[in-house]
Amino acid sequence: MTNVRKAKHGWALTLFFSLLSIAYVMPIIIVIFNSFKRKIFISNRPFQLPDAKSFVGLENYINGIEKIEFPRAFGYSLFITVGSVFVIILCTSMCAWYITRVKSAITTGMYYLFAFSMIVPFQMVMFTLSKIADILKLGNPVGIIIVYLGFGAGLAVFMFCGFVKSIPLEIEESAMIDGCNPLQTYFKIVFPVMKPTAISVAILEAMWVWNDYLLPYLVLDIKKYKTIPIAIQYLKGGYGAIDMGAMMAMIVLAIIPIVIFYIACQKHIIEGVVAGAVKG
Amino acid sequence: MEKAIKRYFPIFALPTFAAFSIGFILPFILGVYLSFCEFTTVTDATFVGLKNYIRIWGDETFIHALWYTSLFTVVSVLTINILAFAVAMLLTKGIKGTNIFRTVFFMPNLIGGIILGYIWQLILNGILLNFDRTLTYSSAYGFWGLIILMNWQQIGYMMIIYIAGIQNIPGELIEAAKIDGANNRQLLRHVTLPMVMPSITICSFLTLTNSFKLYDQNLALTAGEPSNKSEMLALNIYNTFYGRTGWEGVGQAKAVIFFLAVALIAIVQLRLTRSKEVQA
Amino acid sequence: MKKKLLSAVLSATMVASMLAGCGSSEPAQTTTEEKQATTTEAKTEVKEDAPAAEVKADTTEAAATGKVYYLNFKPEQAQAWEALAAKYTEETGVEVAVQTAASGTYESTLKSEIAKTDAPTLFQVNGPIGLATWSDYCYDLSGSDVYAELKSDDFALKEGDAVKGIAYVVETYGIIYNADILNTYFGKDYSVVKSVEEINSFEQLKAVADSIQANADDLGVKGAFTSAGMDSSSDWRFKTHLANLPIYYEYQADGIGATDAIKGTYLDNYKAIWDLYITDATCAPTVLSSKTGEDATAEFALGEAVFYQNGTWAYGDLSANGMADESLGMLPIYIGAEGEENQGLCTGSENYWCVNKNAAEEDIQATLDFMKWVVTSEAGCTSLSNEMGFVCPFKAFDNYPASNPLINIANDYVANGKKPVAWTFTTMPSEEWKNGVGSALLEYAQGTGEWDAVQTAFVDGWATEYTAANN
Repeated sequence: MTNVRKAKHGWALTLFFSLLSIAYVMPIIIVIFNSFKRKIFISNRPFQLPDAKSFVGLENYINGIEKIEFPRAFGYSLFITVGSVFVIILCTSMCAWYITRVKSAITTGMYYLFAFSMIVPFQMVMFTLSKIADILKLGNPVGIIIVYLGFGAGLAVFMFCGFVKSIPLEIEESAMIDGCNPLQTYFKIVFPVMKPTAISVAILEAMWVWNDYLLPYLVLDIKKYKTIPIAIQYLKGGYGAIDMGAMMAMIVLAIIPIVIFYIACQKHIIEGVVAGAVKG
Repeated sequence: MEKAIKRYFPIFALPTFAAFSIGFILPFILGVYLSFCEFTTVTDATFVGLKNYIRIWGDETFIHALWYTSLFTVVSVLTINILAFAVAMLLTKGIKGTNIFRTVFFMPNLIGGIILGYIWQLILNGILLNFDRTLTYSSAYGFWGLIILMNWQQIGYMMIIYIAGIQNIPGELIEAAKIDGANNRQLLRHVTLPMVMPSITICSFLTLTNSFKLYDQNLALTAGEPSNKSEMLALNIYNTFYGRTGWEGVGQAKAVIFFLAVALIAIVQLRLTRSKEVQA
Repeated sequence: MKKKLLSAVLSATMVASMLAGCGSSEPAQTTTEEKQATTTEAKTEVKEDAPAAEVKADTTEAAATGKVYYLNFKPEQAQAWEALAAKYTEETGVEVAVQTAASGTYESTLKSEIAKTDAPTLFQVNGPIGLATWSDYCYDLSGSDVYAELKSDDFALKEGDAVKGIAYVVETYGIIYNADILNTYFGKDYSVVKSVEEINSFEQLKAVADSIQANADDLGVKGAFTSAGMDSSSDWRFKTHLANLPIYYEYQADGIGATDAIKGTYLDNYKAIWDLYITDATCAPTVLSSKTGEDATAEFALGEAVFYQNGTWAYGDLSANGMADESLGMLPIYIGAEGEENQGLCTGSENYWCVNKNAAEEDIQATLDFMKWVVTSEAGCTSLSNEMGFVCPFKAFDNYPASNPLINIANDYVANGKKPVAWTFTTMPSEEWKNGVGSALLEYAQGTGEWDAVQTAFVDGWATEYTAANN
């Protein structure tokens, strides 16, 4: 009896969630079909499908790519994200291991500083950070990786520390007794164990860096290096009136790679987020 | 072993710490110092004591932004968490298509704030056009627009954390409660809720800080229009700092207040929810 | 396995993007050096009035090290500037970067950019008020070639003897009209006047607009005026350009050219014209907050409206959207002030070039060379007068009459003895003041605010902002 009722209930729920899911992706679908419409038909009639009068084919895409040099912006975004995440994982995990294993006033102080930095909003340091980055010539895609390592270290170190505490000391000790130096011990023994946490950190940091707007806008030399969010924001004002057509097309181009990436490794992403949240 | 590692400070901890100094410690200290100064760049700062902090309270836009942001934070934390928890409860019943639904609901998280802002601007303005209104007609429209946007973005993220929390509840516990004759509501109130308290702590912390520090979405959706009435704190600070000559010090002082507010909220919130957690 | 694949893909794309990055920058550098030899040849035939040898020496020297960074104010011309900069680089090998600030964000962009080591070498201020903020950054242009090319000192922004800014474009605005629709209207029996010449006062303008609005369906339009959009891409048309008229008439009445406290004598006229714009319009006043400049252009170009307040710079957008030259006309903005039958269009400049004196010496030199090239070379003059549609106050431009029909209309007004309205908005106390007025205008239009708020923002705001800016 209960089983039957549950099944009926289940179907209703599945139907409900199917509809909800469609509603959920609707905004993106609307953007996609608007990207094929003439720009003057977009903001006036956003829910109208393209018709013979308003359809422009790929014109918006060509226009947008030309205006903001989308492929370059994509390249910079990709380079900065991959570079930053790689450097953050490598450096902060080593740092976290060090400050957990070596107990001193300095390392304890560092730990609390890292934890403290997590709650400081970016506006607090936006001007001073961009000024320092400028003096140190970090306003380029390579330099900004150092800025991201610095400003993003807090969360990463904190998460790695949480994990290192749970690794039993004995394995590391026996490796050291076998003649490994700390570097060998770290890369042969510790780092492989930390992989799940590393994936979590990588995902959280990647989501932040890829989508970040204000930090790169203030730090980077924006006349040379525009990341995707900067390029899209530039489209709004840089060319006077807002070219809604190009805007829609570029939004589509910005979303598609993320969606593909997400579908390809959604298992890791979702697990990473859960693990990250539980430890954070 | 500790001693052996200790000598490796330059390799393990120094890179992160150096970047952290550049990306956080130095800008933070300088930022606090500059909030007591009048300046246009770092080098021409003159100490003026508390003048900037006094000037803040004569700036109506800041007071308004403070209230607007607080109200926004309360509403968005409540709606996001309640909806995410409800969806999580339903999606742990084992209905068909659970994985697909989870995937769909999580997806908006990967899209950056700037892009999300423009997507929703199109959709919401399109709907409001039928009523001869727009998002920037009054701050109320911008407010609810942002709430909808943030719900769309964050429900999926919080949902998977809640799902993990719910799935972690030992089956025996629920069985035992059922044998004791607990009905669904009692089960939720006395078993499920206390058991997922850690998830609630995390989710409310994340939504709280995300909402309070919101910048990108605010900039893209309404940019503070009309009359700075839909301007949140982060945007208000940016506009004060970069938009008004002679107000740099005030902008920096606002940032310090902003930081203190975030810190206070984070600490109070963690205390409050942590105290309600039970050990499983 | 999956993870390995993922990391392999990521690192591959990373390498690829790095290579792509190198690939795109390196050839540019090599051509730079190659081009240098050809530059000198090309240069000799450029301009005759300046000693050619000097030009050659300057550019080649600067090409070795100097570079130009132009922070452009005019989004409408962004692409034309980029093309012109590329051409200069091709010709001389000097690197010229053009960055355009979003509409309404020039000041904040300039502020964040000028703090960088690689700061703009060429930027612009909007007049005396803007200069007050940026004066410390302005290189004295009195000895420069570009100043020598200027037709008159009226176009220079001076501080004592120092020339801090040079106007590079003179512009005119008014109410652009669609002559085709207006002619159709003149033929209808409900038309209140029968020719454009008869529209020479606010009363006439309002009568015409009202009857067009009343017969919109018959004329096939949506409204007399395009949407008075208050999005940041369009709000300057009203909070700055339209606000110029009450200020201008007040200055005229008081016989002054600037003030620390505006009285608002002509605010009722401001209200009257604003009411007309929002009532006889293509859209409900409640949606104005999101209407953009693009929306107004589209409405005008599609023939949905007859009148469109904008200036000579709008020509490019209009013709790109299919407006024929002969369909375009321009009327003065009448607000009902006494003697306005003889009022002409609003002509002036709020675009003054300034050179960043804190830039490296070779960059300053490179910038001065670039400016000179822009206002003397054929490529520069053609681009400014044809592509950008500017009227430029430099000597060489006598040979390059503007192709922009709106400019010819503006010239006709002057030739017919109409008195041009000066651009007094360069004396507005701050950006904040404009924003205050703009917000109040919008709230009033939507019905969420009262006209009193506009009055307060206009009069009291002026005094407050003036004190704030001058202390």
